[in-house]
Amino acid sequence: MPREKLTRLAGAVFSFFPLFLTAAIFFVLLLKAFPLLIFKSLPALIFSSAWQPVKGQFGLWPFILGTLWVTITAFILAVPVSVLTSLYISEYAPEGFKKIFQPILDLLAGLPSVIYGMWGVLLIIPFVSKYLAPVFKTYSSGYSILAAGIVLAVMILPTIINVSVEVLNSVPLDLKEAALSLGATRFEVWRYVVLKKASPGIVAACVLGLSRAFGETIAVLMVVGNVPEIPRSPFSPAYPLPALLANNYGEMMSIPGYESALNLAAFLLLLIVLSFSLLARWYLTKISRRSG
Amino acid sequence: MKDKATGNPELNLRRRKAVESFFKVLMFVSTTAVVLSLVLILVSILWKSLPALKLSMITKTPGSGYYLGKEGGILNAIIGSLELTLGATLIALLIALPVVIYLNTYLGKHSFLAETIRFSLDVLWGIPSIVYGAFGFLLMLFFQLRASLLAGMITVALVELPILSRAMDETIQLVPTELKEATYSLGANHWQTTTRVVLRQAFPGLVTAILIAVGRGLGDAASVLFTAGYTDRITTSWLQPVATLPLAIFFQLNSPFPEVQQRAYASAAVLTWLLLLISLIIRSLSRKFSRNKIR
Amino acid sequence: MAERGRLSLKNLSVYYGKNQVLKNVNLEIPEKKITVIIGPSGCGKTTLLKCLNRLLGEYEEVRIEGQVIVDGQNIYTPEVDVTQVRKKMGLLSQKPQVLPMSIYDNVAFGPRLFGLRHQPELERLVEKYLKLAGLWDEVKDRLYEPASRLSIGQQQRLCLARGLAVEPEIILGDEPTSALDPQSSRNVELQLLRLKQDYTILLVTHILRQAKRVADYLAFLYLGELVEFGPASQVFENPKDPRTRAYITGEIS
Repeated sequence: MPREKLTRLAGAVFSFFPLFLTAAIFFVLLLKAFPLLIFKSLPALIFSSAWQPVKGQFGLWPFILGTLWVTITAFILAVPVSVLTSLYISEYAPEGFKKIFQPILDLLAGLPSVIYGMWGVLLIIPFVSKYLAPVFKTYSSGYSILAAGIVLAVMILPTIINVSVEVLNSVPLDLKEAALSLGATRFEVWRYVVLKKASPGIVAACVLGLSRAFGETIAVLMVVGNVPEIPRSPFSPAYPLPALLANNYGEMMSIPGYESALNLAAFLLLLIVLSFSLLARWYLTKISRRSG
Repeated sequence: MKDKATGNPELNLRRRKAVESFFKVLMFVSTTAVVLSLVLILVSILWKSLPALKLSMITKTPGSGYYLGKEGGILNAIIGSLELTLGATLIALLIALPVVIYLNTYLGKHSFLAETIRFSLDVLWGIPSIVYGAFGFLLMLFFQLRASLLAGMITVALVELPILSRAMDETIQLVPTELKEATYSLGANHWQTTTRVVLRQAFPGLVTAILIAVGRGLGDAASVLFTAGYTDRITTSWLQPVATLPLAIFFQLNSPFPEVQQRAYASAAVLTWLLLLISLIIRSLSRKFSRNKIR
Repeated sequence: MAERGRLSLKNLSVYYGKNQVLKNVNLEIPEKKITVIIGPSGCGKTTLLKCLNRLLGEYEEVRIEGQVIVDGQNIYTPEVDVTQVRKKMGLLSQKPQVLPMSIYDNVAFGPRLFGLRHQPELERLVEKYLKLAGLWDEVKDRLYEPASRLSIGQQQRLCLARGLAVEPEIILGDEPTSALDPQSSRNVELQLLRLKQDYTILLVTHILRQAKRVADYLAFLYLGELVEFGPASQVFENPKDPRTRAYITGEIS
């Protein structure tokens, strides 16, 4: 039937679009980053701290460090809370609570970045500068890695919790009952049995959350200070890669090399984010295939 | 034959119970913290937005002194966001729907091509929206467009594409194979089976998928930052810059005038309500339609 | 003085929502004997077992009325600690549930939980209970391998060893051989017969021949009701209730 063949063909053509797009993004960014790479070697660009575009210096190191600091801070804050909460939801929470909790989690996941940023400016920045910094005997304007870390941590909580709860729920009931029958407390069942079976999945959930944290732009931008220096402490401001892009990407045409540098930054960001997120997803599908 | 295997049983039991209670407290604190964050965010924004929550916020566009604290509202951004997101979602749908249908109708579940396409969709899903913004900007330059409604729509469409595809793919995969087999047994070919049976069965899930993508597109600032531009007027042409809610919030917040900052919070409240509305619709739709679904 | 290993059920009823699964069961389990509960599937046999070690309310919504008295005390009162109750009972489930650790750690799990840290003592216990379960010779050279590598018959015996290591007084078996091949089944039955010298054993099975082989006492549970109970030979040869007779002769299953 010719109509069938036609639709099949059309479908095939459309389906190549995702492949094409993926390749295009990588290729175009790399291409645009290339001109700078002719003049300066990659290690020089990545590890140099001198960022003076007007003078032709494009050291990306402060931005890479800034990205790492902010993301790691968010990670350290988010993981314990996520794991404890997931455990509560999957093992101890009553049905009624689970029903209200899921919408709450969905809402948190759906809030736009700009609103998180706004909340960060409103509550977190004063919190850091007026309450936390004095406790540690430092001064901070509030615009800091810590503020960005806190905001980012809340943003990635839904991601980690959702996946972790699914993983925890997939541990077979029979196994838990067998351990309980031996006289273990529910917590001991979790610690010695469930955790062992679920830990690969929970790790993957955290890595997924981490990949989301790397790429978040607007919220971080609004609270992190955007100062292109190597940060000295969690209370210092920083300038992560996404923020660099957001602040300068539109207006980089006038300075030679600037465009290339930013595209290189974009490309690096792309690589980092993708390696984490793909790793996590691959791992998660491997686990679900093994148990399902 | 039986012998003692334990130390002091009484003490041991108390210690174990104490450990469990300790962690129970921690868990409860954690969960409360999560719930509290949401409450804090919503309440604080609502609180700050109260002074500026007037009807004129959503019915007027910015007047001449708006950014200095004078008259006006964000109607330009509301309409702009709606225009842009609707257009972007349509574009994304135009590509995602054929792809998902093709993947599920003509390709086997584990065929190499299907795996590759799904993999590339996964890759696209993981790309942060700022990178799409950069890519969109480069496309703009290439096609010699200025920052405009069209450029913004295309960029947001790229952001929505993987989200839409994944959600629709999962929905369609949920359609039971037995249903498809029964339809084939009646003599239907692939196309008929898909359009008359599978899509009908999956319809609520598809609508949900679209709404999820819309929600994402409405709130995303990073992708429209360089591609959509900004304006105080309501945009009526493809090639004109367009105002969007996330950017409206962002710009107003950075103003030195407290009246304008309050308006930023009000704008945020408008955006949040809009998104809440969408998620409520999603929830009620899935509940309403599941009653008719074949299980 | 509280008798050890004494187990009785008084007016026990269990409800899943509106559905009554166990109807007013009154049963006294004889000490240090093997009591077998027979009956068609879905009649509440597993539910009954799960009541005994208070596993029932843990993950589902149930209502339990009546008393389960172990060593003279009702285990469903709030003062009783549930982990202590479970320690007194060893449960052998239908499908062997080995914990995700080594063979050694599986058996040592219970003693470690209850505070035993002394390494040589643990090793002694592990060997003792593996021997008691009839598994020692097969695994003594690979104690630190993951338990999941054992065959299913070996896994079930491992579960037996593990359950014995917490030093219960009562052993509960929920169709413990139905997932095993005939040789392993026979193996487990033999161990149970040896163990009844020191433990009170309560088994659930739907294999009548198995009941004939091992039972000292027989209880027939039909649709949640305890229809008949008595010494095995008596119930098999001279059932008092027509339903019992019908089940034994195979008319109903």
